[in-house]
Amino acid sequence: MPEKQLGAWSLDSQLLGANYWDVGWFGLLFTLMIIVFIVFNVKRAKKGDNLFIRRISGLNAIDEAVGRATEMGRPVLMVPGLSDPVNATAVQAINICAHVAKTAAKFSNPIIMCAYSASMFTLAQEVIRDTYQSEGYPERFDPDSVRFISDRQFAFAAGVSGIIHREQTAAAFFLGEFYAESLIFAETANSIGAIQVASSTEATQTPFFIAACDYVLIGDEFYAASAYLTRDPIMVGSLVGQDWSKMTAIAFIAIGCLNASVMQCNIAAQTEEIYETHKSNPKELADALEDAQKLQKNNFSIPRLIKADKPPKDLKIDREKAPEEPGKEAETK
Amino acid sequence: MNDTIWARNPQGDLKMFIGGGLILGIVLFFGVMQTPIQARRPLVWLVTFLSGGFMVAYTYWPKPINFDAKTELPKNGVETVGSFLQQSFGVVSSFVQIIAAFLLGLGIFSLLRIHLMNIARQKKDWVFSVILLVSMLSMIIFGYWDFMIRQGEKAVDFDDPQFWRMPNMVRDFLFDGLLQQMDAAMFSIIAFFILSAAYRAFRARSVEATILLGTALLVILSLMGVVAGAWDDKVAALAGDGKTGSADFIMNFKITEVAGWLKNTFQTPAITGIKFGIGLGTISMALRIWLGLEKGGKA
Amino acid sequence: MKKGGIPKFVIYALLIACCSIPLFFKIPIPNKPSDPSVDFYKTLSALKEGDVVLLGSDWTGSTRGESKGHMKAILRTLMRKNVKFVIWSSADPQSPRAALDVIAEVNAERVANKEEKFQRWTQWVSAGFYPNADVAINAVAQDVRTAFGSRRENDTNGVQQQIFKSPVMQKIKSVTDFDLVIDVTASKTTDFHVQFISAKNVPLMFAVTGVMVPETQVFYNSNQIKGFIGGLKGVFDMEQMMEKGINVKDANGKIAVASDKISGEIAPLPGVSVGQGTKYYPTLHVALLLMIIMIGIGNYEMISARKRQKGNG
Repeated sequence: MPEKQLGAWSLDSQLLGANYWDVGWFGLLFTLMIIVFIVFNVKRAKKGDNLFIRRISGLNAIDEAVGRATEMGRPVLMVPGLSDPVNATAVQAINICAHVAKTAAKFSNPIIMCAYSASMFTLAQEVIRDTYQSEGYPERFDPDSVRFISDRQFAFAAGVSGIIHREQTAAAFFLGEFYAESLIFAETANSIGAIQVASSTEATQTPFFIAACDYVLIGDEFYAASAYLTRDPIMVGSLVGQDWSKMTAIAFIAIGCLNASVMQCNIAAQTEEIYETHKSNPKELADALEDAQKLQKNNFSIPRLIKADKPPKDLKIDREKAPEEPGKEAETK
Repeated sequence: MNDTIWARNPQGDLKMFIGGGLILGIVLFFGVMQTPIQARRPLVWLVTFLSGGFMVAYTYWPKPINFDAKTELPKNGVETVGSFLQQSFGVVSSFVQIIAAFLLGLGIFSLLRIHLMNIARQKKDWVFSVILLVSMLSMIIFGYWDFMIRQGEKAVDFDDPQFWRMPNMVRDFLFDGLLQQMDAAMFSIIAFFILSAAYRAFRARSVEATILLGTALLVILSLMGVVAGAWDDKVAALAGDGKTGSADFIMNFKITEVAGWLKNTFQTPAITGIKFGIGLGTISMALRIWLGLEKGGKA
Repeated sequence: MKKGGIPKFVIYALLIACCSIPLFFKIPIPNKPSDPSVDFYKTLSALKEGDVVLLGSDWTGSTRGESKGHMKAILRTLMRKNVKFVIWSSADPQSPRAALDVIAEVNAERVANKEEKFQRWTQWVSAGFYPNADVAINAVAQDVRTAFGSRRENDTNGVQQQIFKSPVMQKIKSVTDFDLVIDVTASKTTDFHVQFISAKNVPLMFAVTGVMVPETQVFYNSNQIKGFIGGLKGVFDMEQMMEKGINVKDANGKIAVASDKISGEIAPLPGVSVGQGTKYYPTLHVALLLMIIMIGIGNYEMISARKRQKGNG
């Protein structure tokens, strides 16, 4: 029953025959809008506009944590998450770690950075070495301070926990993608009394960090860190761009709520009518109610506006046959 | 466009591909080494931009529907590009895997250097370094040996242990017998940490903490079949059979209803909000990397 | 080590006792399956003989307490309903092995019950492991024939053939030809499945670990997935629904597994379905109880410490 599933509106586009989108134009438009917001704000910040960022206590704690480690003469541990291969999250995590390393370099405090994947290890080593060089202390950089532990999740967890215990780290930074091992790290570091700053881009692990760590960056505070720590116009501008996008999204949610409420009103009005007609047969009643709801959802304004237009499975477009390659039979399907 | 370069199966001329790749790799290596230092950053950016550009084009370029590259010709320019991008995806994704494989070598080098140094200087706990190296080597040797045996005799069903030989058995012992069990053991340690963290952290220190504690308790109780069953029965008995408004209202206090309400009304939007923020952050980070605005280590 | 009041050693010893003692007893526990579990079972029950399911195995030995139970329950259902399936993995190189071991176990069970073994190649195939979950899942969503194209398996005569020559894959030209996509996972593959496969309008379901339930609930609430089972409770829900059906009255006229989520009833699956979930659920119960008690003690200690402070001050 393709007609029923797709609704009258999709049939039109089937007749047009050329609608190739399977992501929906709305997704593209929204992405473009985010890009415009970010680029525009980067330009604005570069011009010297003063853009405000609120206080993030987890990031203020970096100097305090490193300072404490220096007082105690113990190393600072950094784990830039379990990204494999290197992705945007990993780059951001290494950026924050580089800031920590900068502070540690000033105080001449030893650092240990544990890498989960080989690609992360290579990148982290380069960045940390650069950081020491740009701060003017290349001799303080110990190449063994950045270590590849293992790319097996729990072998990595065991390795890092072992390092925390053996080296008695005074401060621990867990930043980036963390999964089930988050609590193992956090509790181990807690058990030796290390001050901990943590952030996971995985929403399910944030509660574990909150339970066991001193400071936690929640959600996109993690991405705000670069802007917060450096006040670099590009970073600050892109952060403001993100906020604009968020506000637009909030506006969309509000419009969606309104729209859904009106839709629910329509459904409620219909329900009464359907109930009167089918009240003798509960099965029919349930089916009719479900159909009415589906119809409303398919036809009402917002879903119609943003719903990705999916071509029906059996839609076939006529194309010219490809010429057979000499000496090779066309593979039959 | 019939059977593009991407769709070609390299199995027949695999050696040629490897040889060509090797020569190209060496040329690129020396080319990059000869590049002046100030030109390296733009070069890196160019590679990043091209790779990112491919993914952007791949994601947003319309894809042909039901298109069979082997038997059909693309209909127009849009389809031609769409089909080209689609077919190239497999090859481009292999690039990532090949580069990651080379990086693994670097990782192993780091591991070897640190632990061989520990052993040579007899640093504290150097015995662990010995254990690590022995474990790594034995896993590599027996893993590869096992793989070679399996590849050599494809007709034998090696899923059946009766056909195993010594290397297969050792690999099974190392992998299934040791690694898997140790993985599971590490995972189960989390239970202990959850309990000690809950004992320490779940305290009614402030109003917010008390609310958190209350909701957590409700959700935990709703997961316990005995409690949930008894609670819900009690509520149902209290509401009675009458289909009155107050009975309906009382039924809302079933623990499964309350927990469901908490999950759907508070937890889902909160997670959605956090994920949305992270998503936006990732997009803006990716955009900065792609456009070369992000300088590594500048935080 | 002593922090707060009770030493950690005591807490840990208590947990070991609470987790292991219930394993020695058979304790029947009443259960009300969660809504996502009911939807999960409902969707599985609606599969017909000859349907093809793409079954992702993205778990390893570490989460076998939950994921193995999920995998077993799903495989038992598919095999009993004679539904064909393709196994594949993208999260971890260990994952295909984990799935193959469970298939072997369920097959051994079938042989012991004098049922026919579910045959590799004719009834199921394995498409193996693909590194880089996001790229792999995207590749499958875009063009499954290219993504799985190079994978080979022995046919019934022991000759290596492309898996697309297998009777299982006969009707599969794109990912939309699968009647259902299920991912048994302990990792981030849920996000990528929703991102790439659900966008193709293919019915999608998950079996996730307990800790992933809140996150997966988001996809369930937004109808991006048909249903999901989560954690040990999910295994127990599945086993109970398979064993006793939903809203089905027993000989005494009592409903063993009730749910308001569906209006009618769904019949149980013939055969023995209880296993890991039913066995471990009492343990979860006792462990949760212990957690509540520990939280209670923690709070009592805090309040009494405050009182003492006030008294001193």
